[in-house]
Amino acid sequence: MAALQRRRLLGVSGLSRTVRALSGMGCPLGSGLAEAAPPPKAPGEDLPSPSHDPHGKNEYDLLVIGGGSGGLACAKEAAQFGRQVAVLDYVEPSPQGTKWGLGGTCVNVGCIPKKLMHQAALLGSALKDAQHYGWNIAQPVHHTWSVMAQAVQNYVKSLNWGHRVQLQDKKVKYFNMKGSFSDPHTVRGLTKGGKETIVTAENIVIATGGRPKYPMHIAGALEYGITSDDLFWLKESPGKTLVVGASYVSLECAGFLTGIGLDTTVMMRSIPLRGFDQQMASLVTEHMESYGTKFLKRCFPTKVEKLESNRLQVTWKNTDLGTEETDSFDTVLWAVGRAPDTETLNLETVGVKTNSETGKIIVDASEATSVPHIYAVGDITEGRPELTPTAIAAGKLLAQRLFGQSSELMDYDNVPTTVFTPLEYGCVGLSEEAAVQCYGSDNIEVYHAYYKPLEFTVAERDATQCYVKMVCLRERAQRILGLHFIGPNAGEVIQGFALGIKCGATYPQLMKTVGIHPTCAEEITKLHITKRSGLDATVTGC
Amino acid sequence: MSTLTRGAGAGAEREWGGMGERLRGEEVGLTEPGTMAAAAYELLVLGGGSGGLAGARRAAELGARVALVEPRRFGGTCVNVGCVPKKVMWNTAVHAEFIHDHADYGFETPSVKFNWRTIKEKRDAYVRRLNEIYENNVKKAHIDIIRGYGKFTADPEPTIEVNGKKYTAPHILIATGGRPAVPPDSKIPGASLGMTSDGFFDLEELPRRSVIVGAGYIAVEIVGILSTLGSKSSLLIRQDKVLRTFDSMISSNCTQELENTGVDVWKHTQVKTVTKSSCGLLDVTVTSSVPGRKPTEGVIRDVDCLLWAVGIRWPPARVPRGHRLSRPSWGTCRGGCRFPWQGVQVDAKGHVVVDEYQNTTRRGVYAVGDVCGRALLTPVAIAAGRKLAHRLFEGKRESRLDYHNIPTVVFSHPPIGTVGLTEDEAVAAHGRENVKIYSTSFTPLYHAVTQRKVKCVMKLVCVGKEEKVVGLHMQGLGCDEILQGFAVAIKMGATKADLDNTVAIHPTSAEELVTLR
Repeated sequence: MAALQRRRLLGVSGLSRTVRALSGMGCPLGSGLAEAAPPPKAPGEDLPSPSHDPHGKNEYDLLVIGGGSGGLACAKEAAQFGRQVAVLDYVEPSPQGTKWGLGGTCVNVGCIPKKLMHQAALLGSALKDAQHYGWNIAQPVHHTWSVMAQAVQNYVKSLNWGHRVQLQDKKVKYFNMKGSFSDPHTVRGLTKGGKETIVTAENIVIATGGRPKYPMHIAGALEYGITSDDLFWLKESPGKTLVVGASYVSLECAGFLTGIGLDTTVMMRSIPLRGFDQQMASLVTEHMESYGTKFLKRCFPTKVEKLESNRLQVTWKNTDLGTEETDSFDTVLWAVGRAPDTETLNLETVGVKTNSETGKIIVDASEATSVPHIYAVGDITEGRPELTPTAIAAGKLLAQRLFGQSSELMDYDNVPTTVFTPLEYGCVGLSEEAAVQCYGSDNIEVYHAYYKPLEFTVAERDATQCYVKMVCLRERAQRILGLHFIGPNAGEVIQGFALGIKCGATYPQLMKTVGIHPTCAEEITKLHITKRSGLDATVTGC
Repeated sequence: MSTLTRGAGAGAEREWGGMGERLRGEEVGLTEPGTMAAAAYELLVLGGGSGGLAGARRAAELGARVALVEPRRFGGTCVNVGCVPKKVMWNTAVHAEFIHDHADYGFETPSVKFNWRTIKEKRDAYVRRLNEIYENNVKKAHIDIIRGYGKFTADPEPTIEVNGKKYTAPHILIATGGRPAVPPDSKIPGASLGMTSDGFFDLEELPRRSVIVGAGYIAVEIVGILSTLGSKSSLLIRQDKVLRTFDSMISSNCTQELENTGVDVWKHTQVKTVTKSSCGLLDVTVTSSVPGRKPTEGVIRDVDCLLWAVGIRWPPARVPRGHRLSRPSWGTCRGGCRFPWQGVQVDAKGHVVVDEYQNTTRRGVYAVGDVCGRALLTPVAIAAGRKLAHRLFEGKRESRLDYHNIPTVVFSHPPIGTVGLTEDEAVAAHGRENVKIYSTSFTPLYHAVTQRKVKCVMKLVCVGKEEKVVGLHMQGLGCDEILQGFAVAIKMGATKADLDNTVAIHPTSAEELVTLR
């Protein structure tokens, strides 16, 4: 077993993908800048840097700024072609002082710790279910944050180390430095101690990802609040927590905090899961409410103060009632969006164009910026999904185009994703709203079903929000435009369907596949009630 | 829905001659079950399990007059002694696994006790609820229920007799399923002291000492449940691996996982005799014949659960669910015998012989589901039953089930998912040089922080230059739910390149399949 784990640790398999933060959809990627406290004997440290070319040419074929999902994938792929490659990574500590190692958002403050804490919460629910399955468990069951957090943090550290080892194995030079452009081929690297190194490269890839935003206009927000950059690294339980925001990051964090037994409130000003199918989004929040998460809807905070008890008093406006309300919490978590990490890159000097509103780097279909040999991948790029797997795929394809005589572009269509809320939500393709907008409601057919997972029946769990919806074109072939699934294991369920949809699956093709009984996934192959028919979509019997 | 399909059914009636029209006219006032005159039905279904119910209901939706013959509770094997209660028990066992992991995830669970009776009662209640739902569905569909065992008579036209009353119809569907077999006492003295998977669901307590005989998926599932719940369990297999018809990777890995989780696997072993001791427990005497070594004999003592999972029997050996396909004298005709009166051919193993359209060798008589002995799965029976109904009552002449690429899950620990050809089958069909295998083995993220580690293995079988995926085999956490979508794509003819072009969902186990290198 030890050998196995080691394989996992070193293997290309899981590690390379570990970078996507908080969920399926937007995995805000690689903070890019990295390694706060370099381990004393990091592998890779001993690698000689390539000798300077006597003719004054650039040292490296490729320099990647940002060691998150996209950056590392690109660097390692380029190294496979025998090129000289370097990675610059540096983690600027969060305003609360949290720092972490190589691997970017996904590994350190995103997908990985998030999914593990989600698993913990699922186990919390399983404890309740277990009673119905004949397991007598002494109640109440206590959860110790520090035990969970320590285990999660240790695992993340092992991944940081794994990334270092991988870079070394692939002969990629690693600099634990913050990079900024001094000219289009030259990047100035600065260590924590202020030591400067100049790195020159033929091609440069920017993959510095993003960081959570703070609502700077709210008094006390920065001073007393934390973000997802801090949550996973807390040594002690956050206690009674207010999560502000309606993004998947917000809902995922609030979900697992509720699941491990903490008093958790979500404050949202507007709609949940913007950009996702809104019927599904409502089901997700509805389920969370029944699960125990409190919601303050159409509310926005106005100030955060510290009480003498050390608790945080939050004041907010309720826009429905026009009133001002207040309550105290142990922790206030801002999940109000993420901003690209471009500030220190000095992009203007070299002429890399950014979107003035979002601050993200503008790229074309080949990930090229406005400067010919400078590219960007991942969360830092304008208009791309903030997801680890897209950043990885884009990074690899870019390296293949640069050095491997490939011309294949990243295809950003039909990207599947999963929100790891207590009841998971997986989707691929268009939302119903988007399909209506693109094709008109007369030209789409929506098949749907409310189903009850078998594991819910004996456990007497409410399955009101277990729902699946497939959006198809209405013409004869009924090509599938989008698939949405809420239920246990949504992430595992949706992946294969994403493949089918990528292959151009139609409704009849889906129906031709024999179901697997009894699973939740089979419900998708049994869909037959259309929304248009107005019939009851509740599944009865097998 | 119902109005729509009724309309379509009218077309079918025309297709099938005047009978439908005539029936339609007689429909009023003739609804009381059992009083129907012979030939008044368009479809007679023998067996109220997955296949029979699906076929009957779909036919009724399409406007046919249908009667269903079932002596017992509705739902057949799947609902009563198969998939449903099995998965409930598997879920119960999964909680036992979670309990090992709770501490690693920060939960303090100082005292945990398991009570078999609690889950047995809940499970039985759930199954009874399903029985009612199924019965109500049948009634709602205006299908007449005929209570009793049906058997074919010697009449010139296919006729079924139930409790002395004769029924006939232009279409008769045999969907009587199968039953687990126990070796005869003449072969293994005392064999009848053991139970089958049917008996497993009657157990009132968790057995202390279990012996499961067999290497098929039922044996694997039951021994996994018993062992995980805390029964000291032995599995007796005739060769050195379980699931030998599965891909070799699955077969090896599953055997290994059984051993890892504490199942005592006796290889190359067969039961010689079974005796009952004075305290009512069983002593199971076994012979182990490892190739190249002298056979050894051993005794497993004080067994309170001896369970045979050595196969399913179909008629004529034992008539499933009490229905009879023919006269009682047929026990003598083994080996592809024909029934002169009915012409429904049964093969050597007792399966009803059907063509790809579910036609038996007798015109107007069909069979679906386990009784046909092919792909013994609920969804297969359901799909075949429905397809048949569309063919018979909607005039869809080509309506039939494609038996290729049927996905299957074994609820072992961890679960197995498989679809398409095994590596060996692919090599045999396409030649070694045309087969490319991609595989991976990893520890799922769930186990990143647990002491207990269970790996996940996956194998993709591809053929030809385009690397068309012809098989997918995996065992690991979540593989039960991962498989379905991939089965859709494989059925569509997905290639390895299609998998490569699919963006992963991170972090899942399923993503490993689209990132294989």
